[in-house]
Amino acid sequence: MSLSMLLPGALALAALIALPILAHIARQRPRERVPFGAMLLLRRVVKRLRRRRRVKDPLLLLLRIAFLMLLVFAATGLRFSYDGGAPEFGGTGKVVVLFDRSMSMSMMHGGSTVLSRTRGEARELIDSLPPGTQVGLIAFDDEATALTSGLVTDHAQVRSRIGVIEPSLGGSNLRAALIEARRMLEGEPGEILLFSDEAGPRMVSEASDELRRVIDQGSAVLSKRPEAVPRNVAVTAARYGDGIEGGTVELLVSNFGDQPIEVPCEVRLPDGQVVPIFADLPPEGESLERVTVPRQAEGGVGEAWCDDPDLPADDARYFHLPQVGASRVLVVDGDPGETPIRSEVYFVERALAPWGAGRSGVTPDVVTPLGLLDLDPQTHQVVFLANVGDPRPFAAKLAEFVQKGGSLVISAGSNVSAERYNSALSGLLPAPLRRAEDLAGRGEPGVALLTPDPSLELFEPFARSGRTAFSEVASRRVVLLEPYSEGSQARTLLRYEGGIPALVEREVGKGRVMLWTSTFDYDWSNLPTQAVFMPMIQRIVAYLGGQSSGAGARFEADVGRPVAIELPDLAIDPQVFGPDSQPVPSRIEGTKLIFTPSRPGAYELRVDASPPLAWVAANLDPTESDVRVYETVMEAEARIAPERFLRHVDLSPWLLGGALLLALMIALLALRGRAT
Amino acid sequence: MSSAAPSYDPAVLARVQRLHLKARILTEALLQGDHRSRRVGQAIEFAGYHEYLPGHDLRHLDWRVWGRSDKLVVKTFETETELPVTVVLDLSADLATGAPAVTGLRRLKRLVTGEGTQPSASLPDLDKSKAGFALSLAATLLYYFYLRREPIGLELIAGEGRPIRSIPPRSGRGHLQALLLTLAQARPGGEARLHEALVAVGERSRRRSLVLVLSDGMEEPETWLPAVAAFGRRRTDLRFIHLYDRREWGLELDQAARLYSPETGEEIAVDPAAARTALREVATEYAEEVRRGVTSWGGLYVKGPINEGLEPLVRKVIRGAPASPGGDPFGGEAKG
Repeated sequence: MSLSMLLPGALALAALIALPILAHIARQRPRERVPFGAMLLLRRVVKRLRRRRRVKDPLLLLLRIAFLMLLVFAATGLRFSYDGGAPEFGGTGKVVVLFDRSMSMSMMHGGSTVLSRTRGEARELIDSLPPGTQVGLIAFDDEATALTSGLVTDHAQVRSRIGVIEPSLGGSNLRAALIEARRMLEGEPGEILLFSDEAGPRMVSEASDELRRVIDQGSAVLSKRPEAVPRNVAVTAARYGDGIEGGTVELLVSNFGDQPIEVPCEVRLPDGQVVPIFADLPPEGESLERVTVPRQAEGGVGEAWCDDPDLPADDARYFHLPQVGASRVLVVDGDPGETPIRSEVYFVERALAPWGAGRSGVTPDVVTPLGLLDLDPQTHQVVFLANVGDPRPFAAKLAEFVQKGGSLVISAGSNVSAERYNSALSGLLPAPLRRAEDLAGRGEPGVALLTPDPSLELFEPFARSGRTAFSEVASRRVVLLEPYSEGSQARTLLRYEGGIPALVEREVGKGRVMLWTSTFDYDWSNLPTQAVFMPMIQRIVAYLGGQSSGAGARFEADVGRPVAIELPDLAIDPQVFGPDSQPVPSRIEGTKLIFTPSRPGAYELRVDASPPLAWVAANLDPTESDVRVYETVMEAEARIAPERFLRHVDLSPWLLGGALLLALMIALLALRGRAT
Repeated sequence: MSSAAPSYDPAVLARVQRLHLKARILTEALLQGDHRSRRVGQAIEFAGYHEYLPGHDLRHLDWRVWGRSDKLVVKTFETETELPVTVVLDLSADLATGAPAVTGLRRLKRLVTGEGTQPSASLPDLDKSKAGFALSLAATLLYYFYLRREPIGLELIAGEGRPIRSIPPRSGRGHLQALLLTLAQARPGGEARLHEALVAVGERSRRRSLVLVLSDGMEEPETWLPAVAAFGRRRTDLRFIHLYDRREWGLELDQAARLYSPETGEEIAVDPAAARTALREVATEYAEEVRRGVTSWGGLYVKGPINEGLEPLVRKVIRGAPASPGGDPFGGEAKG
């Protein structure tokens, strides 16, 4: 409530107040002088009248001042302003309906969703609009979408389009909706009707600037908020961390309702294990729950879920879980180069952990041959022996390792000597080595690999696609093997054109030995630059009992927001698969793969049928789960432009009436007698 | 004090004649049908006891006392053969006012001539001002008691040049003439200082005398009313004739004026329309206050409006008819 003046300059007339004051100060004295013999009585009269005058004269003065003040204020156009609620509506003939379809609008209330109830209210409003009113319809969540082509007078069309609005899993981007509304109004004033729960701490605050522009444009935003009591339980955070057994999954369960509640929750691990818990939630509070992960668990994306019938859409939250209890890969570099890229195992290491050891499921430990002295089967399950010159000092250690279930991958190279290998590793090699032989001259492409047999367990993941990429791999030089017969002793997994063995496997004790007759670097082969290199290496590791599905890199994403994943410097062409294992549209921009998750869950980045290169845990924006109202649009509008919400009462007629009344009172007092 | 000076102003002498004539006419009218004893107060009154001594008249022995106390005492009596009458006349300056209402042509005339705007410095008009009325009343009362062969005296309070003048009661025509001459020469002036004056008169007055006080009483009553007690203690019959002008108390002016007191010079600007009602209220309360005070101290209060003429007032004074409580000074006596 406030008072304001249309003509404040008229306040200068307040100087007129001095007139009655002067009149009271300067009284006219009668001129005639008359003798009087009863002065005693007159003194008593004066005394008595003075007592009355103490009341009457100040009263008269006040009345005269008040009379003038009322006139002055009437001249200034004094008006009384008070908060009158919503501003006037419907004056422009242009109405834009903003319909919130964010996730919170799917909250259940009275057996139906808030959105469906709001749809009914919006339809009623459309029906109540006078014919000829131009109406536009915009639905918004994270983005705003115009459902009418500008402003239309066909109310039935608007009505029908309201009926097809369905709740999404996105947030409430009111700012985008207001921008679209302004565009629809083409800079003209209009009424913007907002149908939204106005839930969340950011919805209105982030739209303040745009709200100001709308108001400056002469438009008014009126909100129609459903009367549903905000109530929602959501898992607002979940993550894996260290702890006893296989570690701990922490989930933060939030209660956005005003009543305490106990809800059943579950933590679902990637390998299908389910750990049930109950969460006690205080009103408008949260609870941090901890779930212990078993000693052995497959890596991937897990799910933390709590039952909430009010708003099921945000009941689950997805988190990354590394391979629990997994072995590490020991890479023995037999030919360390002067630079990293010249190193024998540079590409193997990159193929095993494309995004670095910290973010991948595989942690390759690169050592020199001396590192084999500390080989521990409890720590490592797979050993890559890359171009190691003399394996004899470690032969017994390697044999014991393989016998106990470890796996050994041997690659050839310039340091490999057939004599030393045959003598030291005869119990491990699928076949004795003969010599290295050139298959092509320098500058020639070399001999290509044949397409692998998908019936072999190693190449099962490539059954649907990707096998042809193997034929892009060519070697110019290989180590030849002594003739061997196919069986458990030696099984050829890959051959070059012409039948030269490329990859040969042998089972030894509980473990396996795999021999790659060429190199893992550029010396003898183009393998490191081929798309199949990384999936093949990872598949070999998985096949040999090391990391498999949990080996991929891990990324977080918000539903509805694009995810950009920097691809490793390998020639790969990955594809994104959604929670339902169906491909998800993606694109590559430069070195980044970009896609937008449309729903929460686990997204995989795979090359052909290889194990996932990366996992993406997509979740809803937890702030959208907060269905409480922080500041309504009307409140924000009143804050931005309080004058729009004020009602004004012109006080001038009342002031003039009051002045007239005072004038009568003054005259009455004057008539009742002027004092001595 | 009582003897007249050999060379009197003819105007004064004419005034004496006029006073005498006025008093005689009025008094004779009053005495018509009056058959009372010519000796006022002729009675035997108990005065006290004395021890009996041989030679005392045995008729005066008080046998009852002898029967009760075995003592022989004789009662002594005072025989009153005359009642000294003293007229106490207040001639303070305020008595000079009290002119008739000024309206219309008279007001125009007064504006031109200045008449009435200042109290007259000459002898007061016996028919107009309160002072003139008081002089006529005093003369009439003195003459009346002279005819009754009572000793008469005069006490002038204030008056121009004479703060107080006392002429003790005596009998005789010559004394009457002296009193009338004094009245004829008197002019209002100065302040009355009623308390001092009444105390002095009370001390001078004889026991069992009649004192008639003619005054407007225009001093705060609580300052002078206690002086009335002095008369009561001397068993003096005090009658207070309260002189006032109803027009004056009614503030019969037609426009605002500065009213001033000739006695004190005090001046107050007054709008008659605004103050008239209040003045009437105040005057009524004041008259009642004086009446109650005089009565409570043993005196007799008589309203003395100068607007009703002398005769009814003289009758009230002589009869000793007290004013009724709550009487309206602007009308007759209050009923009941």
